[in-house]
Amino acid sequence: MFWKKTRAAIARFHPLHQTLVWQHTLAASMPVDDWAQLVHSLSGHETVVRRRRWALPPRVMGVLVPLVQTLGEDVAPGGPLTVEADLRGENPPEKAGQHYQLPAHGRIRKLTEWFVVDPWLRIGAELDDGSRLEVRVVDRIRHRKIHKIGASGKRKVAHKTRRTQVLRCRRVLPRGVAGTRPTQPPPAWIRVAVKDGRRRTITATVKSDRIPQGGDQVDLILTTLVELFRWTPPTTARRIG
Amino acid sequence: MTTCTVTRGFFVLRHCGVLAVTGCTTCGRPLCAAHVADAGMCPECAVAAGYGTHPSRTPITTAAHRRRAFYSGSSHHYQDTTWYSSFDDYDREAFRPDSAADPDYGVDEDSGLVDS
Repeated sequence: MFWKKTRAAIARFHPLHQTLVWQHTLAASMPVDDWAQLVHSLSGHETVVRRRRWALPPRVMGVLVPLVQTLGEDVAPGGPLTVEADLRGENPPEKAGQHYQLPAHGRIRKLTEWFVVDPWLRIGAELDDGSRLEVRVVDRIRHRKIHKIGASGKRKVAHKTRRTQVLRCRRVLPRGVAGTRPTQPPPAWIRVAVKDGRRRTITATVKSDRIPQGGDQVDLILTTLVELFRWTPPTTARRIG
Repeated sequence: MTTCTVTRGFFVLRHCGVLAVTGCTTCGRPLCAAHVADAGMCPECAVAAGYGTHPSRTPITTAAHRRRAFYSGSSHHYQDTTWYSSFDDYDREAFRPDSAADPDYGVDEDSGLVDS
């Protein structure tokens, strides 16, 4: 068998690390210390595994690890940080929706459209101030297959895609904390919704007309999260010491 | 009882609160054993002294540097000065030009590179 040593090295990785290598998915809810063990295991991947086929998906070290480390600083002691990540990309057939025909006209003889919806990241955490945080990232790709016929009767098929991303961050405020609307409005590209109930819920939604990569993706998520925390200045948060 | 006053967290900022064992060599704030960063400084002073991007930085200095950089950058998006000022006096003090680590870049009166 080829790559025998590499296979043996992968077998010694953290179990969730192995799942990321073989299935490109991750679903776990565990305390921050356990996440630190996983991150430590992931950080040694490139030095051990040289085979490109078994490389980690780029979003693991580019997005997942920085987010876990950053949000882990705010998680309540012993509280869980939940991550569901599907990093298989947009190709699995179950992510594609139904194909349907759009009205064709002129030289366009047939126009087929379908959408691929890829909800690739979901994070949930109980924070140290008693609030609950949820982050959900969904990539949405529109495919259009266009059959057209030229003046000479020559047939052409064009395939066009348009990629957008919807990022939704939600924070359920601690009991008894109403928060105050920030004096400065958020950037125009962030939509904010507030829902009152037993616990106030603030939702920030961003629809991006491109899919950011690596550090840009982390920045976009963290910058959107800022809006949720501007509602509770540090004076209203529970302080220790 | 003196407790550690280092700010921890990323969005939910709070003081550490663990029993202090020493003080920052630069600003003098009380520190617990876990928050003694590079050269005996607190994380904020270590970042101000340039350890945030130094190869030998400690993890707590890295975290402080990341938080500092992000807060500074996100203030431009939101145009919200109160967001950046949510740090306490200790955190801001290290970044005042006339305090914290004295880099001593001024011209010495008695020891120049060229003798006169």
